[in-house]
Amino acid sequence: MTDHYLPLMQLCDSSFPTGAFSHSYGLETYIQEGLIHDRQSFTQWLTAFLHEQLIYTDGLASRIAFNALEQNDVEALWALDHKLYVQNLPSETREGAQRMGQRMAKLIQSLYDIPVLTLYADRMQKKQSFGHPALVFSMVGHHLNTSSFAVTLYYLYSTCSSLIQNAVRAIPLGQTDGQKTIQHFHGELQKAAELIQCMDIEDFGIVSPGLEIAQMKHEHVNIRIFMS
Amino acid sequence: MAGWTGLLRLAVADRNGKTVPNRVYFEGALKVMRPIYHQASGQVCYYLLNPGGGYIDGDRYRMEITAEKQARLTLTTQSATKVYRTPRHHVYQEAEFHLKEGSYLEYLPDPLIAYQQARFMQKTVVRMDRTSTLFYSDILTPGWSPENRDFSYEQLRLITEIYVDDELAVYDHIKLQPAHQKMDALGSMEGYTHLGSILAVRGDITQDLVNRLYQEVAEAEVECRIGISRLPIGGFTVRILANQTQVVERIIERCHHFVSKEWFQTKPSFLRKY
Repeated sequence: MTDHYLPLMQLCDSSFPTGAFSHSYGLETYIQEGLIHDRQSFTQWLTAFLHEQLIYTDGLASRIAFNALEQNDVEALWALDHKLYVQNLPSETREGAQRMGQRMAKLIQSLYDIPVLTLYADRMQKKQSFGHPALVFSMVGHHLNTSSFAVTLYYLYSTCSSLIQNAVRAIPLGQTDGQKTIQHFHGELQKAAELIQCMDIEDFGIVSPGLEIAQMKHEHVNIRIFMS
Repeated sequence: MAGWTGLLRLAVADRNGKTVPNRVYFEGALKVMRPIYHQASGQVCYYLLNPGGGYIDGDRYRMEITAEKQARLTLTTQSATKVYRTPRHHVYQEAEFHLKEGSYLEYLPDPLIAYQQARFMQKTVVRMDRTSTLFYSDILTPGWSPENRDFSYEQLRLITEIYVDDELAVYDHIKLQPAHQKMDALGSMEGYTHLGSILAVRGDITQDLVNRLYQEVAEAEVECRIGISRLPIGGFTVRILANQTQVVERIIERCHHFVSKEWFQTKPSFLRKY
């Protein structure tokens, strides 16, 4: 029953090269503006990012994707890939997610043999699908026989822990502050994953104005260490 | 669910360079005034009005707007749209815009003002040909409340879908629920009360145009936050946070003037409100 834990942990490990360490999703804009400068201000932002954006986009998508995989409904997966791309209005975060999705699909193909992922990667190659890490992650989780809830929880964890490590480098925060933040988010992530389980599908794609503006403004940030 | 509080069907077509009404039908609490021609260009302007004076509990509105081949249409409102308290059912407004080959629609409504305990849901679907052009804007503002709270409305939800040649190209979903969100917090409304949005779609919009628009419009502005980004297809979006309607309106107007000059080498007419 716990067979899938280590394989999923491998995907969430910071050494797993998805490119997440190059993306700040607007965090860098706030750092440059001086609005995020310590653990407390960073925690505020990450809380907003998780609860006002991530759960309605990638988070809900991971649940919808898992469900589609259970039903073997590939058309629903391709429609979801399309919708994730067109709802992501800031161009850097949209293209960043696409690059991560493609990179992750390629890497996972050399680790596992998952027919639906082969189809997905093939569609990306032919530019029929864009590629998104939440979908790739769900495909692996489903392949490993984990639950929908676990897939969502691990996915949210990997996204947030990457952002925390990015914050440690960029703000910068001390390593201890970084670990304290991860620990604080254990509860937040659990709460978010539970919320997603009973979320109305109509809520897909909700974005929060401030977060989104910061993601758009990042295009004009002068000194950048992140691509988004 | 069949009845509409207000229903409007408007189709305009090009007749030798002048855009003329093809079909105008309205019933209930939604209508348009007679067409106005602000310029010699032949572009037609319609003012929408809500004879009821505001949206109340359970109201449902629908607009179907069609710009036929080469038609050029400005659509605006006569005044702000006020949404009052909705104790039983939210107010629902849906709009469908059809933009045929080479047509142009600019949709520049006055602000939506959401009063205490108001719940409002808007669904907008644009179906456009890839040779047509869209400039679409929205302004959301909170109404006055007895306790002088900034956000006394209950919920504003806006879903906008843009299909280009029948393929979903843009999906925008805003849902503001002040009682369940920290509105002032970083990432949310960030101390601002007003939200403005623009979606502009046109095949030849490049990153260069988006950059120039940002330089011209966003860099000079104060007392607001502006984000501008290129859309997945030819087009851009603008998001504005501010504390005054005039600031949001000024930024939308500046963007509108910028693209009008780029696309048509014209300066838009002032939209007179009575």
